[in-house]
Amino acid sequence: MRDFQSLKFLSAFKIIFTKLGVDYALMETILRIKLTMDERRVPTIFNDTNKKKEGNQFLKSLWVYGLYSLLLIPFMLQKGSYIFPMSLVFGFILFILMTSMISDFSAVLLDVRDKNILLTKPINRKTIAAAKIVHIMIYMTFVTGAFTAIPFVVGLFKHGILFSLIFLVELVLTMLLVVVLTSLLYLLILRFFDGEKLKDLINYVQILLSIGVIVGYQILIRSFEFTNLEMLYTFRWWHYLIPPLWYGAPYEVFLSGNTANYLIIFTALAVLVPNVAIYGYAKLMPSFERNLEKLLSDTKIRKQKRNRFDEIAAKLLCRSKEEQLFFRFTASMMKKEREFKLKVFPALGMAVFFPLLLVFTFPTEEGAEGISGSLLYLFIYFCNLMIPSLVYMLKYSEGYKGSWLFKAAPIEQASHSYSGALKAFFIKLYVPVFIALSVFFVWVFNAQIIPDLVAVFLGGLLQTLIAFKLVVDDEFPFSNSFEFAQDAGGMKLFLLSLLTGLFVGAHFISTFNDYGIYIYIALLAAAVWIGWQRVFPILKKHKKEKTDFVLDE
Amino acid sequence: MEGQSELIISIRNLTMSYGNKNVLNGINLEVTKGQIIGYIGPNGAGKSTTVKIMLGLIDSYEGEVVIFGQDISAGDPSYKKKIGYVPENAEAYDNLTAMEYLVFTGELYGMEREAAQAKAERLMQQFDLLDVRHSRLSSFSKGMKQKVLIIASLLHDPDLLFWDEPLSGLDANSMMVIQEILIQLAAQGKTIFYSSHIMDLVEKISNRIVLLVKGEVVADGTFEELQEQSEEGSLSGIFNQLTGFTEHRTKARDFVSIVKGDTDYA
Repeated sequence: MRDFQSLKFLSAFKIIFTKLGVDYALMETILRIKLTMDERRVPTIFNDTNKKKEGNQFLKSLWVYGLYSLLLIPFMLQKGSYIFPMSLVFGFILFILMTSMISDFSAVLLDVRDKNILLTKPINRKTIAAAKIVHIMIYMTFVTGAFTAIPFVVGLFKHGILFSLIFLVELVLTMLLVVVLTSLLYLLILRFFDGEKLKDLINYVQILLSIGVIVGYQILIRSFEFTNLEMLYTFRWWHYLIPPLWYGAPYEVFLSGNTANYLIIFTALAVLVPNVAIYGYAKLMPSFERNLEKLLSDTKIRKQKRNRFDEIAAKLLCRSKEEQLFFRFTASMMKKEREFKLKVFPALGMAVFFPLLLVFTFPTEEGAEGISGSLLYLFIYFCNLMIPSLVYMLKYSEGYKGSWLFKAAPIEQASHSYSGALKAFFIKLYVPVFIALSVFFVWVFNAQIIPDLVAVFLGGLLQTLIAFKLVVDDEFPFSNSFEFAQDAGGMKLFLLSLLTGLFVGAHFISTFNDYGIYIYIALLAAAVWIGWQRVFPILKKHKKEKTDFVLDE
Repeated sequence: MEGQSELIISIRNLTMSYGNKNVLNGINLEVTKGQIIGYIGPNGAGKSTTVKIMLGLIDSYEGEVVIFGQDISAGDPSYKKKIGYVPENAEAYDNLTAMEYLVFTGELYGMEREAAQAKAERLMQQFDLLDVRHSRLSSFSKGMKQKVLIIASLLHDPDLLFWDEPLSGLDANSMMVIQEILIQLAAQGKTIFYSSHIMDLVEKISNRIVLLVKGEVVADGTFEELQEQSEEGSLSGIFNQLTGFTEHRTKARDFVSIVKGDTDYA
């Protein structure tokens, strides 16, 4: 085991921990073990190859954040009012930290596996809880550092020392805000729910947070008005609820000497909220650990839930019994598998959200009337954009080891497993999103776009097939470990998403002619029909041999 | 063994290697109807590999494997219809409820949905699992999950059972029930092929014991035949002798000394 620089740095704060009742030496031991284990684990965030490489993969993936951070530079260079560029910069920072916290560190926070190991040893709960949060903080510091190092230097040269000092202090505050508030949120849920419901709820919270962060960012931008090449800010009371504005305000106060009441209150919130949150967290920490235990237990007696819809859909859409079976299996896996939901639902949320957002915000000269006659309905293609990555996820499962079952069972048409799975994906995930959007779009653009929507739908089907053929092409669904979900497929998936662009282009060309769209629909329908037969052929070779042996009974 | 009983499994010259490491070195085995075969051997001897080959989980083997008169390398999965399998480490789709999992398995083996459900319900009742049948497997204890997997392997009334460590995680009472189930199933003409590390049990219920060491069959016969062959009283004794392991006492003594802190060994 080697020495970690981060732990050396941490020891500077030894006194604070000791004052809080944490056994520092033990905490350090736990952290050292955890950091060592992290070096041997493949992270969820970024992973190029199948081979497990040596060293901490997470740290090696940080350069991506450095790349993203280049986006901040234009804002750091802006002259004039600080509140607009700096709020946006901190909006970015909060967005990145929050996303990272949800997708990479929720698991660390909610980890119960080491409970049997740690709690059976003579260690107090406070130390365990502190080790956990410090563990996360170490990584969040790296993420923050990677994301803000370049902008920091730029800011230092452009705006001077005082600016940089405010920037640094605010970075620490935002980091605390993100980590502690997320923890407090989990703590609340853990307190009021238990068993399986709790696990599901945590999933939904993670999904909602991811969507919330994106929506929040849109609201932030919308609180500024763009006129005469200048961003104007007008205060509204509900702006108190938007954290990035809190962090934009101090620059106005300290650097521009603008002491409007709301700016002072923003600044106060920026400092107070993280500190109050930490205080609250320190108080509640032991109960958090205790409540975590609920994740392990499930005491309720449950009733059977039968899904009529799934059954009828399976009967209508599937050719064979095996296909129906896999349709229903996939439907229930998609409903229950947490990892799957966590990876898929945010994408679904965005599929709904983006088309709506774009239609509403796209500036048209003629106002509301202009929209209905335009080609803006093509924005609905955004919901096809998600198809490749969702189809790809069908390969994976937390319980992938259970897939021995498919090999051990006498499955006659192995190809029916994926055709059933894809149908289930399409009906259960894509169709609801598509229908919801279609209803909205027909309302905005009138019924004349219905043929276009049909074309979008068929394009979605075709894209599902192509995505399956190119990135999955596996024998059975849910039979690979999520550990590999982020690997080589990435580039392919990206290219496949671009395929949506081709569909949009073809659709656009079809609008040149009055009947073009119907020709396009016919072509798509034919392509889907032929494609499906090709990708999922029915094998006949085993049928004859079936009666070869008869057991005497 | 039992005269001209019907041949269920026939393995000829089965070899298998991972890379350049040989796991199985020419196994020959014939199993007839109604036999309970205890398939034993030290860790890593190739027991699970043999079972996985017979189930079609691994197909990169060499040699001939014929089950129910069908060469399994032909790729026709229909021979699996009459096989039930309990995997080694209780691997299953944990996110499904017990009932969903059982019905799904039953259907994969060609059962009607309602029939599978009704049968699963009755079998679960026998194992006192009725209350938790709609809870997810992930919330089950090892023993409960094992019971569900045992039920899953029997739901379609198979003629041949492959049980890999079927008793792991079960309490003493459940173990006795499972033992008795095995004996009665064999009496009904089912063929049972199971592996276990619990020698007392293997000794008691198997009517044929196959001992595998380093990918080779080193002993094959009834318990009495094995006793004659090795002059050891118990199966554990025979096991130790045939696997060439005799120094358990000195090993244990050294170990305990180190625990106590004697410097000679530390």
